[in-house]
Amino acid sequence: MKALEDLILKIGKVDRRWIFLVLAIAVFIPIIKPIGMPIRATETTKVVFNTIENLPENSKVLVSIEYSPSTKPENHPMTISILRHLFRNNHKVFVTCLWPDGQFMAQDALKQVAEEEFGKVYGEDYVFLGFRPGNEAVIKGIVSNIRKLYTVDVYQTKIDEIPLMDGIKNFKDFAFLFSCSAGYPGTVEWVQYAADPTGVPMSSGVTSIQVNEVMPYVQSGQMKGVLAGMPGAAEYEALMGQKGFATSGMDAQSIAHLVIVLFIILGNAAFFIERKRSRKY
Amino acid sequence: MKDKQFWIVLSGLIVAFLIFWFAGQPMFNEDRVVMFITIVAISATLLYNIRMAKRGETFYLRPIPGLKAIEEAVGRSTEMGKPVLYVPGIMDMDQVETVAGVIVLGHVARMTARYETSLNVPVSRSIVMKAAREVCRESYMMEGRPDMFNDDMVHYLTDDQFAYAAGVNGIMIREKPAACLYMGKFYAESLILAETGNSIGAIQIAGTASQAQIPFFVTACDYTLIGEEFFAASAYLSQKPELIGGVRGQDMVKVAVISVIILATLLRFIYETWGVGFDAIKLLTVQ
Amino acid sequence: MIWKRQIPILIVAFIGALTLFGWFVEEPNIKAFVDDDATQWYDILASFAIILGAMNLMKMQIQKVARQKKGWPYSIVAIFGFLFAITAGFFIKGVDDSVAVWGAHVTTEGTLFKWIFDYMFTPLSATMFSLLAFFVASASYRAFRIRNFEASLLLVAGIIIMVGRVPIGSLISSWVIMYIIVLALGIGVNTWKKDKKITFGVVGVGIIIVTVAGMMTGWPLDKPAIFYLPIIQEWIYYYPNVAGTRAIMIGVGLGIFATSIRYILGIEKSYIGE
Repeated sequence: MKALEDLILKIGKVDRRWIFLVLAIAVFIPIIKPIGMPIRATETTKVVFNTIENLPENSKVLVSIEYSPSTKPENHPMTISILRHLFRNNHKVFVTCLWPDGQFMAQDALKQVAEEEFGKVYGEDYVFLGFRPGNEAVIKGIVSNIRKLYTVDVYQTKIDEIPLMDGIKNFKDFAFLFSCSAGYPGTVEWVQYAADPTGVPMSSGVTSIQVNEVMPYVQSGQMKGVLAGMPGAAEYEALMGQKGFATSGMDAQSIAHLVIVLFIILGNAAFFIERKRSRKY
Repeated sequence: MKDKQFWIVLSGLIVAFLIFWFAGQPMFNEDRVVMFITIVAISATLLYNIRMAKRGETFYLRPIPGLKAIEEAVGRSTEMGKPVLYVPGIMDMDQVETVAGVIVLGHVARMTARYETSLNVPVSRSIVMKAAREVCRESYMMEGRPDMFNDDMVHYLTDDQFAYAAGVNGIMIREKPAACLYMGKFYAESLILAETGNSIGAIQIAGTASQAQIPFFVTACDYTLIGEEFFAASAYLSQKPELIGGVRGQDMVKVAVISVIILATLLRFIYETWGVGFDAIKLLTVQ
Repeated sequence: MIWKRQIPILIVAFIGALTLFGWFVEEPNIKAFVDDDATQWYDILASFAIILGAMNLMKMQIQKVARQKKGWPYSIVAIFGFLFAITAGFFIKGVDDSVAVWGAHVTTEGTLFKWIFDYMFTPLSATMFSLLAFFVASASYRAFRIRNFEASLLLVAGIIIMVGRVPIGSLISSWVIMYIIVLALGIGVNTWKKDKKITFGVVGVGIIIVTVAGMMTGWPLDKPAIFYLPIIQEWIYYYPNVAGTRAIMIGVGLGIFATSIRYILGIEKSYIGE
């Protein structure tokens, strides 16, 4: 028994680099050889899916991209799935970016989904408006007069020459907003300055860290559900019936979480043994 | 009714507003009247308490261990002959948290000037750099140590979130500061910074209103100022009566907010169950 | 002195009051200022201010190299990276005008700037962000200790969220959780009564009840729902978490408001060093 206690104590004092190594191995193996665990959609994800599913055909939907390459594994699968869903249901998509890096992410997603998967026509089925600096001011600009803010699209084409932009003056002309966000400016600002004051429904996909911050808006009905981190993205992929990067990432995340829990248990065991021994002396 | 002057001015303003309102409220957005009244009421409460404090009334302030620990942390750095690292968040001066972070920096700079300890402030925004420099310069002057101040103690790294985190981590690993203070608006870089600070054995104190980052700081730092504690830091550190009065005013407002929440919940319950009264939520929702 | 004291305080008071009370005024010019112009002015100022930051960065790095301070070779990389990014952004596109005009070249495939973004910036950013996973592991390993009741609550909630959020959580039957609860109850009873007989009695009865109930209902994976991890984690996210978040939000909002009012009224002057 003492030998076991000594071993646990030794593990309890282990250098954090060993924890990093074990975690890296635990994440690496399922990525190489996926297990394929079943994915169960949570209520918040189902709400996002149903809201988009219930939009009438040819609805004008604004998709705002507010993330950078750092959170690409979490946010990008959401963007891909949402675009797939929108194009599958023949909606018209308008893409804006509040982050400069978001423009690269949006371009990548549009190329994959709009061009390669659905063969949609630029200017008729979707428009890429791109990034404008100004954080909340951009949102306020879209709400008051989008044409004042965006005179040209990302390819420097005049807005007036894009057929899909006909009849689009401000935020109220959109039927729905989806914000894929990793921080500021992002989902919270869209709720405060656009969706809530105008009544246009919105949903969002956020990183796991951000879920706490946006949950009050979901619960109060100011947001129609939320895709919460990579699990949220994987759940959406499951609802869409099209597995993607998020689904394959969930095996690794499951194992990683289990490893962390195991370390916490071992750490506590070491803590108790140490406390017991110190009481003895 | 201790402050007659205050009440006379407030009554005058209310009468003026009522006249304006009944005269047809030109150019006033009437949908936002509830918000307007709330703002005036909160401002009046804060002002009243500030005036009371200025007149010499003493208020009890709950001790906040994190703020007490700042001086200890600076003292520890002095004993160890190592610098103090101060991170004012990653956002610009248009965020109140950054402003609060720069204010606390002023107090910390006074301490480092007093203890003759070196201070290192890497920033991620140019305007923050200018503001932080001015604050530090003034603090060193006020402590009578302008010779110890140099512009480069506040230096710019980059605007990019993770490049900034990498830069600050590099400073931590190379210089091994004895105290790391994180005061401002933070995002995902919070844990990267705090864990690196922990690994070098620095005493760490964080202050932020970024809800998502509070758990990370609580986990990795020795002390964390949560939300409003962080905004009250200036009052605690300066012990100026007008600032302390403001903190008390804030607490008064909080009591009022709690009362409104309870009352609105009750009213809504009565309205939705028996259809009596009015929809309190609709009244309080600002368009 | 007037330029460093009174004028800044006056500007803050005036613009602050205008922005705050302008929100209630239905006047197009004030509305335009509050909604758009004020923030855009700030952004324009901040954009120019980046030059100050960039110059400071270069000065610090060049000084470091010149004085050969600790880690100076990294400064060479920083200087080179800075100059390379400026060259790719302003001087060398890497493609003809027919492929991309200046401005659009930033996002166009094949340009030097896009190459920097794809092959340098993206992997470096992703690497820094992914460090979080490791730091979360080491931080939670160190911090999640059953020291007292609150810490235990935090630990249990943390584990439920961690396991319940991911697919593996949905594979863990409610019945396993019920057995774990019975064992935890046993630990509690043992700590309280310090009597092995009572502890074994409680655990034994608990196990029998759970087993009989399971056999009668056919051991469904997600029933009873209150013991199913994904359901518990959703409940934690939706109620206790939102309650706590709202409380912090209100406190933070009040703090922000009080700080702003102190600025507008000139009570807080720390930003000019007072």
